[in-house]
Amino acid sequence: MSKTKDAGHHQDIGCLEAIEAFYAYLDGELDDPQAIAEFEHHMNHCRSCYSRSEAERLLTDRIRDSAKTATPRELQDRLRKLMDEF
Amino acid sequence: MTEQEDVKIFFSRQIEENMDSLYGTALRLAGSGADAEDLVAESVSKAWSAIGTLQDRERFRPWMFRILHNCFISNYRKQSVRPSESSYEEGNDEALAQLLNEQPDEFLIWWANPERQFFNSVLGEAIMAAMDTLPKALRTTILLINVEGLTYDEAAEALAVPPGTIRSRMKRGRTLLQKTLWQQARDAGLSTAPTRAGT
Repeated sequence: MSKTKDAGHHQDIGCLEAIEAFYAYLDGELDDPQAIAEFEHHMNHCRSCYSRSEAERLLTDRIRDSAKTATPRELQDRLRKLMDEF
Repeated sequence: MTEQEDVKIFFSRQIEENMDSLYGTALRLAGSGADAEDLVAESVSKAWSAIGTLQDRERFRPWMFRILHNCFISNYRKQSVRPSESSYEEGNDEALAQLLNEQPDEFLIWWANPERQFFNSVLGEAIMAAMDTLPKALRTTILLINVEGLTYDEAAEALAVPPGTIRSRMKRGRTLLQKTLWQQARDAGLSTAPTRAGT
């Protein structure tokens, strides 16, 4: 884990800073272009962090798929009846 | 069409479109189907009563989730604490990245080689069981963002906390979730990958 200036133009932010930015990046919440570029630069050069981010992507997909729940018919009817009374 | 009719049509449409999201979130909060149904119904009633406070229709989802969450806190939280649920206090998480970075070698090896076999073998139920062990604040934050697709700002509005708290909860919650799943993988006898992690 090192923090160096790359021959390219982005500073290597190091694993600790990359981990700090992990979820914000994956959730599309990292909005500073320089921060995004530095994060992506690190991902392109650090196999460990890249693998972590890939694992996180997979897990996010799994969470999304697993947590989706259909509303029971009884509740659907109950809510529609309720809204009819408004 | 009167303004009242317009508001009612808007409200009904929003509830129809978000019904599964509201029920799914209520289910993970309340823990039982019956309680979740009551929680959603009560939230919808309260939302209609308070519809005049919704200033921006584009913000209906965070506004509605906030009402759902408040209803839960008011009426259901005490009776729904699960035995496996860990406690949680909002706090400084400066050491979190360091903690992740100092995971044992075995953990790093697994991280560096995310086993497709592991993810394929972890059933949705197991993931949700792991989610249920998270403190409610962390679980709810992950659900709103990763499942319901709220932005951090919207989740902050829904849960009435600063955006920085949402960011912190995501890091903390996802880290704890990873550790729980990793423990499950080890308990299930899944092997680690053969090579060492490295930069």
